[in-house]
Amino acid sequence: MSSPSTHAEVTAADTAGRWPLLLLFASGLVWLVVSGVLALVASIQLHSPAFLADCAWFTHGRVTALVETTFVYGWCANAGVGIALWVLGRLGGSPLRALNWAVVGTLFWNAAIALGLIGIATGDATSFSLLQMPGYVQPLLVAAYVAMSVSGILAWNGRRTDGTFASQWYAVAALFIFPWLLVAAQAMLVWSPVRGVLQAVVDGWYVQSVLSLWLAPLALAGAYYVVPKATGRALPSYEFAPLAFWTLLFVGSFSGGRHLIGGPVPAWLPTLANAACWMLLFHFSVVALNLRGVFSRGGTAFKFISFGLSAYVLGSLLDAMTSFRGVALITQFTYFATAQQQLALYGGISMLFFGSIYFAMPRLTGRSWASGALVRGHAALTILGVLLLVVSLAVAGWIQGHDLNNAKIAYAELSAHTRPWLLVVTAAYSILLFGNLLLFVNFILSVCSACCVRSDNLPDSSSFRQPSAMEVPAL
Amino acid sequence: MMKNGFLFFAGLFAAFAFGWAGIALGSHRQLGALAPYHDDSEGSSFPSRPPGLAARGQLVYADLGCASCHTQQVRRPDFGSDKDRGWGERQSVARDYIYQVRPQLGNSRTGPDLANLSGRKAPFDAAELTVFLYTGILPGGKVLSHPPFKFLFDDAVVVGETSAYALVLPPSLAPAAGRQIVPTERARTLVSYLQSLNTPYEFPEARPVTPAVAQKEGAHK
Repeated sequence: MSSPSTHAEVTAADTAGRWPLLLLFASGLVWLVVSGVLALVASIQLHSPAFLADCAWFTHGRVTALVETTFVYGWCANAGVGIALWVLGRLGGSPLRALNWAVVGTLFWNAAIALGLIGIATGDATSFSLLQMPGYVQPLLVAAYVAMSVSGILAWNGRRTDGTFASQWYAVAALFIFPWLLVAAQAMLVWSPVRGVLQAVVDGWYVQSVLSLWLAPLALAGAYYVVPKATGRALPSYEFAPLAFWTLLFVGSFSGGRHLIGGPVPAWLPTLANAACWMLLFHFSVVALNLRGVFSRGGTAFKFISFGLSAYVLGSLLDAMTSFRGVALITQFTYFATAQQQLALYGGISMLFFGSIYFAMPRLTGRSWASGALVRGHAALTILGVLLLVVSLAVAGWIQGHDLNNAKIAYAELSAHTRPWLLVVTAAYSILLFGNLLLFVNFILSVCSACCVRSDNLPDSSSFRQPSAMEVPAL
Repeated sequence: MMKNGFLFFAGLFAAFAFGWAGIALGSHRQLGALAPYHDDSEGSSFPSRPPGLAARGQLVYADLGCASCHTQQVRRPDFGSDKDRGWGERQSVARDYIYQVRPQLGNSRTGPDLANLSGRKAPFDAAELTVFLYTGILPGGKVLSHPPFKFLFDDAVVVGETSAYALVLPPSLAPAAGRQIVPTERARTLVSYLQSLNTPYEFPEARPVTPAVAQKEGAHK
C-alpha cells in the first residue's frame, strides 16, 4: 500500500491518463528531434548554399517549411495538448474521460503531419507560413485536433470544484479556439482563396493567432499550474489574471500586422499592430507578476519555467519595439525577425513546455526521471543553445538590416558580414539538437522503468514527500 | 463569466471572431473588390494578366519555397534602400497582385526582392536566368550566390541534334562530351514566371504623397 503522500502526488487523474498523455509527450519529442535535424540542415544552407542543394526534397525553401511544420504542429501541438489535458484532468477533480478519443486523435494528428511533411517535400506545399501542409491533409488535422481536445473539454465541463483556475482558462481556450482558427484560415487560403495581397493579410492574422491564441495559452496553462503547485503558495496579484487572459485573447491576433510594415496592404494594419503590441504589455506584466515566485526557487521545472517566462516577457518587449516603423526599417525581413520568432517559440513557449513536462512526467509514471545527469545535461545545453541561437541571429539580423539599407553594399559583401554569425547559429542548432536528444533518451528510459510499475503498487514512496523531490532527481 | 460554462465559451468564440473580423474581414472589405486601373490615355487596363506559362511558374516558385528568402514587395523610395538598389522605382501596391493566383510577398530578404525583377534597368535575359538557376553563379561572377537547382534540369545524352533548350555553360561547368543539360518543363515555367515579374505602370496610389506638389499640379495624371 502506498503512503498518503504518494496519493497526494500521483492522483487518479494521472494513473488514468498515463498512457494517452505519455503518447502525446512521446510524439512531441520525436518531432522535436526531427525538427532539430531539419533546422540544422536549413541553417547550414544559409552559409553554404550548395549543401543538399541537388536534392529537391531538401531545397532550402522546402526545408524551412518542414522545420516550422514539425516544430509547431509536431512538437508544440503534441506537447501542449498533453499538458492542457493533464492540467484539466487534475484540476477537474476526476479522471479524464473519453481518453480513447485522445489516443485516436493523437495517432491521426501525427499521421496527418507525416503525410503533410511528405507533401511539402514533394512539392505540394501551400507556401503560406505555418499553413504549409497541403490541402489534402488539412481536414484531417481539424478532425484529429477536435478528437484530442474532447477529454479536456469534458473535464472542464464536469469539474467538481466551485472556483476555476487560470491554468484551466488558458487550457480550454487553446483547445477550443484552435479548430476555429484552422478552419477559418483553410477556408480563406486553401479552399476558396481570397484575392491578391489579402492572402498575405489573412496568413499574417493566422500566424499571430497561432502564437497568441493557441501556443501561448497552452504554455501558460502549464506554467500557471506548476508554479503555485510547486511553491505551495497562492499566486500574487491573482485578481488581475482574468483581465490579462482576456487581453491576450482579444488583442493578441491584432499584433501580427507588424510584419507587414511598408508592404502593399492597408496602412492601418501595422498601425493597429503597434497599438496592440503595447496593449499586450499589460498581459505580459500580469503574467510576470503572477508567476514571479518561480524566480525564488530552484529545481529543474522552475529552471525552465523561469527562463521561459523571461523569454516570453522579453519577446513581447522586442515585438513592441520592432512594431515601430523606424525600428522595423532595420529589423524587418532580416534574421532579427527570425531571432524574435525563435525567442518566442523556443525560448518562451518550448521552455515553458519543458518545465511542465519535467513536472508532469514523474506524476504520470509514478517514478522520478531515470537519469539526473541527463536532466542536467538537457537543461544546460538547451539554455546555452537558445541563448546562443537568439543572440547570434539577432546580431546577424542587425548587421544585415544596416547593410540592406545601404545600397552601396552588394549582397556578396553583406553575406560575408553575416557569415560568422550564421556559423554560430549552426553551432547553436547542433547544441539544441544534442540537448533534445538527451531529453528524448531520458524520456524513453523513464517510460521503460514505469512499465514495470503497477499503479496500485508504487515503490519508493519516500521520494514523493516533497513535490520538488519528484521533479529533480539528485539535484 | 469564468464559472458560467456557456458565457465562457461564448467569450472564447468572441475573441476568435473579433480578431478574424477585424483583420481578415476588415481588409477584405477594403481590398476585396479592387479592380484594375483603366488608363484612358493608354486605352488599356493595368495590371495585365500574367501569361499562362508564368502563372504556372508561380506555383513552382511557391512549392520550392522561394519566398523563404525573397520578398516580392518593393517599399516606397524614402523607406529603406529598395529604390537605390534598383529593385523598383515605386512602391508595390495591392493592385499589382490582383491577378496573381498565389502572391508571394515573402517575409525575408536573405536574397534580393524580386517584385520587379524583369523591370530593372539591366534585367537578366531568359538564358542567363536559366543558367543561373542551374549553376547558382551570377553572370560574370565566380562564387556561389544561390543554391544551384540542378534538380530542375536533365543531364541527357545527345541523340541526333542538341536540344534547342540545352544550356550554354562555361567550360568549367559544361557536361561531358556527348551529353547536354536540358531544363525541365518546371524550370522553363519558373523562368517564364521570373521574366514576367514587372511593375511598369505607375498607379495613382503608388505615387509618393507630396501634398504641395499635388495641389499645384492636380492629383491625377
